[in-house]
Amino acid sequence: MCVAKAICYDDVERESTLTVGSIILASGSQGYDPSKLDFLGYGKYPNVVTSEEFERILSASGPYRGHLCRPLDREEPKKIAWLQCVGSRDTNKCGNGYCSSVCCMYAIKEAMIAKEHVHGELDCVVFNMDIRSFGKDYEKYYLRAKDKDGVRFVKARIHTITEIPETGDLSVRFVNEAGEILEEIFNMVVLSVGLQIPESSKVLAKQLGIELNKYNFVTTDPFAPVITSRPGVYTCGVFQGPKDIPSSVTEASAAACMAGGDLVDARGTETKAIEIPDQQDVAEQTPRIGVFVCNCGINIGGVVNVPKVTEYAGTLPNVVFTDHNLFTCSQDTQDKIKEMIIEHKLNRVVVASCSPKTHEQMFMETLEACGLNRYLFEMANIRNQNSWIHSKSPELATQKAKDLVRMAVARSATLKQLNEKVISVNKQALVIGGGIAGMNAALGLGRQGFKVFLLEKESELGGFSLKLHHTIEGKDVKAYVKELIEQVRANANIEVIINARITDFAGYKGNFTTEVATGDQKQKLDHGIIIIATGAKEYIPIEYSYNEDPRVVTQVQLGDILEEKGAAGLDSVVMIQCVGSRNKENENCSRICCQNAVKNGIAIKKLNPDTNVYVLYRDIRTYGLMEDYYTEARNLGVIFIRFEEDNPPQVEPSSEGMIVKVKDHILQKNLEIRADLVTLSAGMVAEDTTELCGIMKFNRNPEGFFIEAHVKLRPVDMPGEGIFLCGTAHGPKLITEAIAQAQAAASRATTFLSKSHIKLSAITAQVDTEHCVKCLTCVRSCPFEVPVFNTEKQVIEIDDAICHGCGVCASVCPRQTIQLNFYEDNQITSKIDALLAGGM
Amino acid sequence: MAEEAIKLGGKKKSMFIDKVKQIIPDGGNLNLCLTCGACSSGCPATGLEGMDPRKFLRMAALGMDEELLKSNWAWMCTMCQRCIYVCPMKIDIPQLVFNVRNSWPREGRPKGILGSCDMALKNDTCSAMGATEEDWRFVVEDVAEEVRETQEGFENLQAPMDKVGAEFFLNQNSREPVTEPDEMVPLWKILHLVGADWTYGSKGWAAENYCLFMADNENWKHIVEVKAKAVDDLKCKVWLNTE
Repeated sequence: MCVAKAICYDDVERESTLTVGSIILASGSQGYDPSKLDFLGYGKYPNVVTSEEFERILSASGPYRGHLCRPLDREEPKKIAWLQCVGSRDTNKCGNGYCSSVCCMYAIKEAMIAKEHVHGELDCVVFNMDIRSFGKDYEKYYLRAKDKDGVRFVKARIHTITEIPETGDLSVRFVNEAGEILEEIFNMVVLSVGLQIPESSKVLAKQLGIELNKYNFVTTDPFAPVITSRPGVYTCGVFQGPKDIPSSVTEASAAACMAGGDLVDARGTETKAIEIPDQQDVAEQTPRIGVFVCNCGINIGGVVNVPKVTEYAGTLPNVVFTDHNLFTCSQDTQDKIKEMIIEHKLNRVVVASCSPKTHEQMFMETLEACGLNRYLFEMANIRNQNSWIHSKSPELATQKAKDLVRMAVARSATLKQLNEKVISVNKQALVIGGGIAGMNAALGLGRQGFKVFLLEKESELGGFSLKLHHTIEGKDVKAYVKELIEQVRANANIEVIINARITDFAGYKGNFTTEVATGDQKQKLDHGIIIIATGAKEYIPIEYSYNEDPRVVTQVQLGDILEEKGAAGLDSVVMIQCVGSRNKENENCSRICCQNAVKNGIAIKKLNPDTNVYVLYRDIRTYGLMEDYYTEARNLGVIFIRFEEDNPPQVEPSSEGMIVKVKDHILQKNLEIRADLVTLSAGMVAEDTTELCGIMKFNRNPEGFFIEAHVKLRPVDMPGEGIFLCGTAHGPKLITEAIAQAQAAASRATTFLSKSHIKLSAITAQVDTEHCVKCLTCVRSCPFEVPVFNTEKQVIEIDDAICHGCGVCASVCPRQTIQLNFYEDNQITSKIDALLAGGM
Repeated sequence: MAEEAIKLGGKKKSMFIDKVKQIIPDGGNLNLCLTCGACSSGCPATGLEGMDPRKFLRMAALGMDEELLKSNWAWMCTMCQRCIYVCPMKIDIPQLVFNVRNSWPREGRPKGILGSCDMALKNDTCSAMGATEEDWRFVVEDVAEEVRETQEGFENLQAPMDKVGAEFFLNQNSREPVTEPDEMVPLWKILHLVGADWTYGSKGWAAENYCLFMADNENWKHIVEVKAKAVDDLKCKVWLNTE
């Protein structure tokens, strides 16, 4: 069956015994089975599918080879509905009271991809209670789906799906907010099924003696998110609680950090190194180019005529071998490329597929494994820059793919072998920011035996957490921070520097030097890695009479009031969500404010059940297990009222309290709520790191949060190697999430610090000192201040180790005496020539 | 003219919903509404009087007791329980409706139901249409006789009355003997063909209980007791109520 012979059909179960020092449970989840919800018709009506099945339908390797059609008659649908919270947020039919955290985003994604897949128009409707796009930049994605791509979002849960027997279409009846019954007919309905823990994981937990909570997720402490009830056993991913890919990846690294901490003495003892064959010198050989064209499932192949492009590549100069693959990045294709390199004596390889950003390194390693220099590789991006944007014009896209391949082939013939510099790694770490994230990162590294400099700009450790009292689970933040500070202070490997300000920065991965000022004193610190943990703070509202009336406070201030005075004297409290978030100035969701309101709402009700509490919200985003607290808040009598962005509440002072005017979303009637206190759920804003970034050149997004290397797959790495990121400096998050990310950053840093030597990129600028006229244009232009004029030797020098390879100097040099390796002038002009030679 | 706003906040008031929560199991989860609307999209009474189950519960949650307690919609609910079946929070809206009905002064409740309840209380047949034991006996025997005489294969059909020790005690809605006697026959035939050992009773035979729908707790309890006694008196094992 399997063409790639990846499955061993006659394999048998084998038992083996391993002796290990720690265990990480990452057994994940399974989708909820909706067949017992008889009113949804799953299993009875062929065109009702689960979201998992819909993913398969969209997939190139799926049942319809990536063509969007419905199961009954293989017709392309014109109208699809997604039903949210199937198997989640339901204590009646399935008992899963939690939110699965991921379904809103995948439903939006599926709707957007479905729209791209169809040949005509596709009407997509997502029926939901709340849209929970709480992750970093997720709100922007939701807005794009809603406002630009025309995905409709309807606030309604469906009672029953009925099939229209003649057509197989599905009738969906719902009530809109005006209370009108509406009926829409869909060609397909997708059930957004939630995540739940499989039976096998329960058995596993029992065998290992691990405590599970009532929903069978692993019981963990909010301040120790990956530690199970049994010492030495850690967990991560959905087994720990419902979560998305970035959070799972982060937690995986956190679990590795904790597990690694137990195994410090054994580190490296059983590591197997990859053996790379000696490099063969092909400099004098005539170029022999192999071209591999990728279908990328149907991402490319669905638009571009890949066989034609492959055939065309074979006609190009120096090309001696061509092939096309379903997924060129797959392991079996790598093996095939290796075979072809050897069989056809290839000395240059061109892959026409996607962005070099994600896969170039991997293909380069494939070359190295055959003894070819890694820089004899070139990519043509015929997906991101071609098939994705020209999906409606396949002919043109095929022509453009040919052009791009011709350019890549021309350039590849000019490529030279380059040698990478090997340097030693300084084993010390620098952590910037002494809040909960920074301290956890420092401890993570300290426990692994590395020397850490922990910088804090204030006079005490703790950061924003010093202003907080309790987590939503009721855990004491102040006690935790106090204990954390003691641990940090007690760790001999951690040197805390308070009142610190970074004044200068130099060096490169593995060998950084940072100058730190404390008062008048300056010191230079040498370190191999950097962890950014500069944090965030509460937004200071300009809305709703804040700062004009003492009866308007923020959630953090309410926390203080409840701590000091309790809820006595409070008859009525109104909370307003999304203040400073999800608006024109800051499109993103601040992630933590809904749980904050729920937390404080519960606290008020427990202190004084007679206090009326009203939460005015747009979507309640108590994702994951926090949904239980939302349920508890309602159970205690907190009233939740939804408002629309374009019709926000009005707050007016009066002698009898603040008057809050808002329209009730169910009764569609105006409410006037008298409140003793109006609490604004102010969002989270990044700390001001302008000065720091001016010196250290880190990239931030428009909101001031640092930009990770890859949103999903590398959530704690900065794009520059040896630099890592954690806590709220990365984006708004809860304490428990900041701790996990801090441990993750420590883990990622450890993998770097554990190496004795690293290789530097060979893509650096070279100066032809003989022809250079020392005009200093390069010195002035380099954004990283790398070129220097050596007054003794009277030459411009560019240090290979610190050059970023950006090419600015090469392009501004008026005499063209600077060349950037891998991007030499002829290596670029060859592409232009090839483009123009072809004509359009 | 803009509609006057609903005033909320200030000191906590006593609310009707809190009283209902105290008397029903788990408080009927009445506080837990997610306002998703699943109830209303499946409710046969949605839209009547501009009302639906979600709005009805919302009025209760916001403490709008005056509007809630005088809403005629409470009498339009069919008590079918489609709402609670799909509600993700299993909110017992039917119980809220029932207790709203119960809060009405007895004489103010809808005339049809009130009349039917009162009629059923008049004699031990429990018939909301006032059918007496004599009428009932006559109709049953007369129809059975006619079937035996005219319908082939049912020459031996019986509709037993007050048969002591029968397996099944069957109730019958008064509507059939009073206005559509022939509609009793199909069920008799089924029971006949399967050989069921069943009986009607001359007392407590009427299947309907309008006092229940009227939320007249004392009287619907009385009616159930009369019917249960009739079953016990005949020493029947199973009480079949077709309502």
